[in-house]
Amino acid sequence: MLEQIARVLCWLCVGEIASRSGVLPLPAPVTGLILLYAELAARGELPQDLGALADRLLQFLGMFFVPAGVGVIAHLSLLKAEAVPILAAVVGGTAITLFVTMVVVNRLGFAIANDQGRATGSLEGATRDVNS
Amino acid sequence: MSTLSQLSGLTWSSLAERPVMETGATVLAFWAATRLSRLGGSHPLLNPTLLAIIFISLGLEATHIPYETYLRGADTIHFMLGPAVVLLAVPLFRQRAVVRISARLIAVGLAIGLPVGILSAVGIAWALGASSQTILSLAPKSVTAGIAIGISEQIGGLQTLTIVLVIMTGVTGAVLGPIIARLARVDDPRVVGLTMGIASHGIGTARALQISEVAGAFSGLGMSLNGVLTAILLPFIWKLF
Repeated sequence: MLEQIARVLCWLCVGEIASRSGVLPLPAPVTGLILLYAELAARGELPQDLGALADRLLQFLGMFFVPAGVGVIAHLSLLKAEAVPILAAVVGGTAITLFVTMVVVNRLGFAIANDQGRATGSLEGATRDVNS
Repeated sequence: MSTLSQLSGLTWSSLAERPVMETGATVLAFWAATRLSRLGGSHPLLNPTLLAIIFISLGLEATHIPYETYLRGADTIHFMLGPAVVLLAVPLFRQRAVVRISARLIAVGLAIGLPVGILSAVGIAWALGASSQTILSLAPKSVTAGIAIGISEQIGGLQTLTIVLVIMTGVTGAVLGPIIARLARVDDPRVVGLTMGIASHGIGTARALQISEVAGAFSGLGMSLNGVLTAILLPFIWKLF
């Protein structure tokens, strides 16, 4: 398990260096995510402990942004002053995104579905372990 | 007696200097929020993160503890966001077979959902006269919070505002997703799930998992891929303007 924690922190660290030095205009954890994925893809398998670590930690993902989220109390006046554009953008924008994406993908999906008909069976097993 | 008061004085000062109280309060608030959310049948409106943020905010208000003091203590929890985002590579890797099989479906979904998500929010806010700071904070609203605050920082938005907007977007998508799917007469769980993940990240994915496993899997993929791609593309697009 320690090895896996070290692995995650190591890639995060590389991401941190890349982003602070200005080499990559990416948030450090995103670079870390890409590097970890690349490593797993190169290995071709997932170390069991890494899977367990991910399952455990991602279970609490929602808790990790509570401290930063509380900071919004400093911007309550901004939220109040711009409540209308903010609510319209969040609700309207999300509704538009859902509708447009679903309709277009579904329309194009007919063509795609054909060459994937036999894929549905193998999907069942692969979908088991998704959470959050 | 004097030893006891000395002892309690010592304990108090070490508690105040160390992050025990703030970290403990955050964990406790999130635990209570999770319980409350389960009691309400895990309805998206009872989002545990949002509830915990409200609990802590009310607590700080009541005790007159400044946010900066709280954040210094709760930094232990804030720190975990980085490793957790890196670990999103794991579910993505587990789903690599699905990505390969449905590559075209996923690619089309992202090619539409990603830009529409950003432009619709930014466009509406701009048209209704929002400040540029609000617009910048809104741009990554569809992206999972851990990645969105990084993007918000890169383009000059307010990170804390972004988090709340991200959660509001997630809740909206989780509530509207199944309704809009019905209105649009879309019943392919792959399409519904993928779209909900792209439009409303983890909160949408939690709702998609309630529809079916396939919808949940595609939603998780939509969330992760949309997060990574938006992080890569948004700062570049922003420089063009």
